[in-house]
Amino acid sequence: MLKIFTTALVLTSSVFAITNQEVAQKSDDALSGFVDSVSVMEMKLINARGQEKIRQMSMKVLEGEEADKSLMEFDTPADVKGTKFLSYEHINKDDDQWLYLPALKRVKRIASKNKSGAFMGSEFSYEDLSAFNVNKYTYTGDAKLGILNDKEVYIGESVPVSKYSGYTKLISYIDKSSFLIQKIEYFDRKKKLLKTSYFENYKKFAKINRIGKITMKNIQNDKITILTWTKEEVNTGLSDKNFHKRYLKK
Amino acid sequence: MIKAFVVFVFAYVIVIADTQISGHIDLDSQFYISKPDTKHANSFTLKQTLELKYIKDDLSIFAKLYAQEAYKDFLRDADDTKRTFIRLDELFLRLDFEDDTLQIGKSIKYWGALELRNIVDVFNSNELRDDMFKTNKLGALNSSYTHYTQNGELSLIIKVSEQDQKMAAYPYVYYFFTPTINYNHNLLSSNKEYRPSLYLTYSSTTQSDYALDYAFVYQNGYDSQRYFSSLANKPSSYFQSAYLVNKFMTYNTLVVNATLIKLEALYAFVEKDVSVGDYSHLALGIEHTLEDFDNGASLGLICEYYRYDTYESDKYNDLQLFETMQDDIFLGARYTLNDADDSSVVGGLIHDLEYNEQVYYLEYMSRVGDNFKIELDYYYIEPSKNTRTAYSFLGRHQRIGLNLAYHF
Repeated sequence: MLKIFTTALVLTSSVFAITNQEVAQKSDDALSGFVDSVSVMEMKLINARGQEKIRQMSMKVLEGEEADKSLMEFDTPADVKGTKFLSYEHINKDDDQWLYLPALKRVKRIASKNKSGAFMGSEFSYEDLSAFNVNKYTYTGDAKLGILNDKEVYIGESVPVSKYSGYTKLISYIDKSSFLIQKIEYFDRKKKLLKTSYFENYKKFAKINRIGKITMKNIQNDKITILTWTKEEVNTGLSDKNFHKRYLKK
Repeated sequence: MIKAFVVFVFAYVIVIADTQISGHIDLDSQFYISKPDTKHANSFTLKQTLELKYIKDDLSIFAKLYAQEAYKDFLRDADDTKRTFIRLDELFLRLDFEDDTLQIGKSIKYWGALELRNIVDVFNSNELRDDMFKTNKLGALNSSYTHYTQNGELSLIIKVSEQDQKMAAYPYVYYFFTPTINYNHNLLSSNKEYRPSLYLTYSSTTQSDYALDYAFVYQNGYDSQRYFSSLANKPSSYFQSAYLVNKFMTYNTLVVNATLIKLEALYAFVEKDVSVGDYSHLALGIEHTLEDFDNGASLGLICEYYRYDTYESDKYNDLQLFETMQDDIFLGARYTLNDADDSSVVGGLIHDLEYNEQVYYLEYMSRVGDNFKIELDYYYIEPSKNTRTAYSFLGRHQRIGLNLAYHF
């Protein structure tokens, strides 16, 4: 009798088990399909003593079949106003990235291998800010079920494909019903917990979900960065032409 | 009439139109530790930059005003350095079409790839009444038409005229002539001053595994390199002389993993000038960035080499043309703290392989609060002992600089 019960339990578990790869794909699907996005963002930098600094920027994103294009413009602080950052993501090769420095009227090429560098002095790195793409990570095994803030979540491990990533692994907490990311733990090159990010205020545009707020806590230096999307529109009619290098100088 | 038009455009852009206004006010001070005895030991300069930008659909209007006031000029004594002025650097109108752009007016352009000096950045002249170590470009009156391809752009630019370049006066430390020489800013040109210069540029990016940003520029017109000459009836007055060239230029950046490999090169065919013959200039650079130093800082390592050659032995050579980067190597480093104030330290050594002279420098930049920036620098020049190079006219030079800027 016990044998039959155990066999039934194993079979049931197998039928309802979901792999980390499948969870990641469903999570990717839940955030995809916006076609393009125009948004205004505010970044709050909080140091270990609790002092705050605010940065503002605007961003345009064009969703690609494999990878996205983005154009970011800094509005504050005043000395970097008009600085622009253009990025073409690629799956099988390095991203193309340029920085426009308005004081010099210079378009400067950036080596995109430097993914782990801090973005504007924040706790976000350039790789944290690039769009989530399932192909950038490898996944093994089944997702575990857990509870986060009274919600059932899938807990899964992923390893960045790029050898230039600043992380050795990520542990993601993904809502069981919506497949929206709730929390990610980032482990540094020494395999120690470096940062934890919390994802909140998801906004729904028809069937598409967009993140409204990310809080990134650095466990090692006690600094926090909060990134908030204050305005966002999707499917506005942007095309490849809006991400030409000519728009850096405009 | 032109002044009235400028005033009208400024008034319209500021008062009536929905205009973005930005700029900065700088207090720039320098203390010269080593310098010729008769020259000033310090300089204090107040600088203002005002930028106005108006965009409505496909129309953009942009204006930039620059002014500086030197403390010594307000003492009203014999030490007047003639470094107080106001300048309109940019005032242009741009119309954007689907795949093209038309721009008319006074503007500043940037061409180049390297970090220390851009030998192909020849479109605008640099201000001779400001710190010689900083870039402070004069706007040039021009019109351009640009056509955009999927990854590149093709431009035809017509520069209408060449500007006269005013110079600071003795005893300002970066005035290179002796007190007995009178510099006259009226440009002597081999043709008419209003003979337009034509530029044809093409730039693009490859889609290969190792991406390459490349650009080619052809110029027919007045060269950016100038020489000094005097007239028979005014032997103590020196003028800048401009001559015509056919010039071919290129600047490129190749991305290989975390390394940028850069090339700038030019060849100038000089059209019948008694003093200057054909010449070439080459610059090669490599920049590699190391990430994740202490607390997220990064370290950029830069190495650049510059080579300048003239090809007619009976005409001026690099020394007579005051070319400082004729056989020079630059080793530099940029330490970026990646903190909330965007603090960084940049330092380097320029070593002249032929004339054995060196320039050492160190710069620190950071933000204070949300609107203030602070910049500290130190420069040391050890000029050639045996050759009359441009730096040898300055003598052994050592200075500390402090710039405080309020940005809005």
